[in-house]
Amino acid sequence: MQAGLLNTYQHPASSRQPVAWMLSALLSVAYLLLYLGPLPRLGIPWDVFQVGAEAVGLKSKWTLYGLLYTAAMIAGGWYFLRRHGNSRYQVVRTTVVVLVQVVLGFSLPLLMSVFGRHEHYFSYFWPLKMEYLYPSYILQQPFLILAWSFLGSLVAFPILAYFLGKRFYCSWICGCGGLANTAGEPFRHLSSKSPAAWKIEQVSVHLVLFVSLVLTAIVWVNWAIGKKNPEFAAFAFRVQDWYGFAVGAIWAGVIGVGLYPLMGTRVWCRFGCPMAALLGLVQKFGRFRITVKKDMCISCGNCSTYCEMGIDVRQYAMANVDVKRAACVGCGMCAHVCPRGVLKLENKPDRFKGGQPIRVYAVDL
Amino acid sequence: MHFVIVGNGVCGLEAALALRAREPDVRISLVSDEHDHFFSRPALMYVFAGQTTLRDTEPYDRGLYERLRFERVRGRVATVDAAGHALVFEDGSRLGYDRLLLAVGSRGRPAPWPGAEGPGLHYFVTLRDLEGLDREARPGRRAVVIGGGLIGVEMAEILKDRGLHVSFVIRESWYFPLALDRNEAALVSEHMRHHGIDVRPGVNVDEVLRGGDGRPRAVRVAGEDVPADLVASAIGVVPNTGFLAGSPVPLSKGGAIEVDDALRTSAPDVWAAGDCANVTWADGSRRPEQLWYTARDQGRLAARSMLGDEVAYRRGPWYNSAKFFDVEWTTAGSVPVCLNWDNTPIDPGPDVRCWFQRVPGQCVSQRVVVQGDRVVGFNFLGSRWDHEPLLRWIEERRSLDWVLAHLPEAQFDEEFMPRFRVLEGASLSPAAP
Repeated sequence: MQAGLLNTYQHPASSRQPVAWMLSALLSVAYLLLYLGPLPRLGIPWDVFQVGAEAVGLKSKWTLYGLLYTAAMIAGGWYFLRRHGNSRYQVVRTTVVVLVQVVLGFSLPLLMSVFGRHEHYFSYFWPLKMEYLYPSYILQQPFLILAWSFLGSLVAFPILAYFLGKRFYCSWICGCGGLANTAGEPFRHLSSKSPAAWKIEQVSVHLVLFVSLVLTAIVWVNWAIGKKNPEFAAFAFRVQDWYGFAVGAIWAGVIGVGLYPLMGTRVWCRFGCPMAALLGLVQKFGRFRITVKKDMCISCGNCSTYCEMGIDVRQYAMANVDVKRAACVGCGMCAHVCPRGVLKLENKPDRFKGGQPIRVYAVDL
Repeated sequence: MHFVIVGNGVCGLEAALALRAREPDVRISLVSDEHDHFFSRPALMYVFAGQTTLRDTEPYDRGLYERLRFERVRGRVATVDAAGHALVFEDGSRLGYDRLLLAVGSRGRPAPWPGAEGPGLHYFVTLRDLEGLDREARPGRRAVVIGGGLIGVEMAEILKDRGLHVSFVIRESWYFPLALDRNEAALVSEHMRHHGIDVRPGVNVDEVLRGGDGRPRAVRVAGEDVPADLVASAIGVVPNTGFLAGSPVPLSKGGAIEVDDALRTSAPDVWAAGDCANVTWADGSRRPEQLWYTARDQGRLAARSMLGDEVAYRRGPWYNSAKFFDVEWTTAGSVPVCLNWDNTPIDPGPDVRCWFQRVPGQCVSQRVVVQGDRVVGFNFLGSRWDHEPLLRWIEERRSLDWVLAHLPEAQFDEEFMPRFRVLEGASLSPAAP
């Protein structure tokens, strides 16, 4: 057995029992208060997080949020490695993703704001962080930040995703994935593996990607012609605002983290993240895959159960078909929990030249 | 045409899938008294431990049976009326068939020790076994696990995890002599003791002692009374064919259903496959194959045979894998068994030698079996290996030096795990125990 996963289903918080529902409600409310600020009509006259931040001597509620987020990742990373530290892949990956958060996701932006600069999160890129390719933001930044953003999003990321899979970002750098794989560890098995969930995911994540591309185009067009077209400028501002609230705050935050205890940790990454969708498309044609050892699977289901992205890995293992799925974030847990060592994450050219028909027997039945 | 399959395990279900893939319109019925959905039997331990739910161990979605029009019959078969082409159930009802596949699997080998039968005795093969053990295994209780194989180590592990005190009683001189040699077994036993298991190899169970309430009190092992609130018997499995006694379906002495190469029994229109079928092994002996992947393969082949294809079941080269607590095991090819059931050594012959090394301080070892000047088998503990290249090298009659130089290519560990290399303490010695 995988010692770290024993009794998962015996913990009330990990098995959708009332305490999990309460936890989910608590997280959602916290995110709503964070993003919405004071809600006088609901009888909440103060910006709760801002008041809290000032009470502990911080200027901004976002610093407090960053501090809590980073602390959750450090504590969660320690918890995760106590369970899965017997895998070096997990040790290296977890150490890197937590360090990236501590340094690039928290300390550096904080230092920048202390020195009076506009803070920049060097671990986030367009299209996850939309404004990092908005002309209004990026063209006002120093050249280094401008180059970092452009080269990262448009050059380095596609190349890295081709050779390493999207895991290089989603499981090694990204703060959203980082929280999922550390503090979210007790909930990873709650993602739905149903074929219906897969269909919804394909539509929804690519829809968000499409919307984010269209929005980026609108913003750039507005930069070029907005001064002469105040109506278009107003429209561009409205859609920016709407996207930022609906996708950035509500989906990624309130729903994405709020649903951890009920639907697993990658609700946002799986159904909503435009970056995950974009890198996933590259990955599908790239080198990363999960190689399946032939005829060794005992169908126990540990791989599928512990896939946070809801991939039914077992179907591939039973059919002796390597897993090449756009969704896979390469967290490595399927390989780690497999009691027969059937799965291996690899970056290699396809084993089956000339195109092996990818037909997974049971999924297609 | 009505195909009836008794048994909803991997063999029965794979046969049904193969039948449906070829024949969209025939009637297919699956008979089981265990569970409405196919589940992975080797995964029962994860369900017990709360690592997965029973539902997680069901490989296919629950709409499969309706979608493929598999009719499910829940009931226990009392006998086969071969002349009347019908199954007779325990409640007296009948189900007619045109072609019948018996894929009834195994059950735990009955505990032979005096006083063993009764409350508090547990096997771990079926869903009922799981439920029974789950009810009685409470933290703080004492369990004696008897048996030196894979189910034994699984039971020891899950009971220990549940918080019971576990003694693991093994009749042979060391753990799992069917697959491990003395060095490898020492490594595994050390690991089990590290996990708090009281491992007792080389001792016989005399009897199970019961208290006034009829529950187990202790297991007398080599004259010593080992306290026990429950007794876990894991001394292998036997074909689940008791209901066929007296029927026209012929059974071997061990209770397995006799079949020909096409998995047909001598009863008309009756086939058998999986754990319950007596098949011919590569060495010519006739035994059941009690493995997951052979049950799957036999089920698929039986389906073709039932559809009239000319088929012959040929078992491929031997390979397997398992996990002893945290230590993974991979084997491929011919690895000599060093010990008989009665603890007498087996001499594999003068030209069989074993290359062996253990990584110091870790539960990692590699054994390469050499016959004459070529490699014939592999036994690996504590790291992951792909059996495909290993079996290919055996077929290509590679030398030991060549194999040792190429072994890293077959390694299947997670990224960043240590690569295989030849250590200074490696030895090459005769395979005799």
